[in-house]
Amino acid sequence: MAMIIMSVGLYAQDETVKIGQQAPEISLPTPNGDTISLSAFKGKLVLIDFWATWCAPCVKEQPELKTLYDTYNGGTKGDRFEIFGVSLDKNRDSWVKAIERFSIDWVQVSDLLFWRSPVAKDYGIQELPFNVLVGEQGEIVAINLHGGELEDFIATHLNNAYN
Amino acid sequence: MKSVIHLVSIFNALLLMLGSKAYAQQKAEPWSKKQLIATETLASRIEQGETENLFILSIGPDAVIKGSVDIGPTMEAENLDKLKHYLKDVPKNKEVVIYCGCCPFERCPNIRPAFTVLKDLGFKNGKLLDIPQNIKVNWLDNDYPMNE
Repeated sequence: MAMIIMSVGLYAQDETVKIGQQAPEISLPTPNGDTISLSAFKGKLVLIDFWATWCAPCVKEQPELKTLYDTYNGGTKGDRFEIFGVSLDKNRDSWVKAIERFSIDWVQVSDLLFWRSPVAKDYGIQELPFNVLVGEQGEIVAINLHGGELEDFIATHLNNAYN
Repeated sequence: MKSVIHLVSIFNALLLMLGSKAYAQQKAEPWSKKQLIATETLASRIEQGETENLFILSIGPDAVIKGSVDIGPTMEAENLDKLKHYLKDVPKNKEVVIYCGCCPFERCPNIRPAFTVLKDLGFKNGKLLDIPQNIKVNWLDNDYPMNE
């Protein structure tokens, strides 16, 4: 039991981002070389999806993210939601092919540095999948939600923020 | 009463342990426990330069370990062929350590096909690097030797 408590304690120390704090800036290249910054989406709810093609559960999640994106970005809901895909891939071909395969039409950036990417450190990422939701003022509003929890959070947040 | 509850919970824990052991035995892996090598063991051998008879192959996302060869994720047939091709020129008595590190073993799509190839080709000294969580936590964060 003591060991369990100790290991939870150690794990908690590794988490460097917390709800309420400003999301660390991310400025990285897209597949065609343009650099895009997270702060460019200030004023919207942004889901930062940290993923990689070598992470099976991350890949599996992409169609779900597409559904979220199609539902909450644009259309009658207005332009209030974005997904910012940050890949920890190493291999450019795998990354680009996956973007095509899943018809990902939200922003995708990567420095192709695998775990040596500075964003992994900035966000204290220990394993993938991992994501962060950033509110309209650039503050972190949720960490690592997936599936129904993620969709509920987005729906509720957008409802509260705009009604 | 408290001690009874305590005993029951110990009994339950024992049952759980036995149950998970039985489950692990059902799911036969291509490697045996003896064929696993700990990260600290490999790291110290690299640090001491004891690598003349050692081949370290990355069969996952990135060849981060110093001196390792990048085969690529062996869930892809192309990379599995690359592994077979590479091993063609390696004497069967050499020690070959493969590693992935994308994620814990139960979720990894690369280690099983790769280790099976190692076995089928007759490498008596084939080993799998034991990475409980991933290459970041169990190698990079420990500042073990890395490829530039």
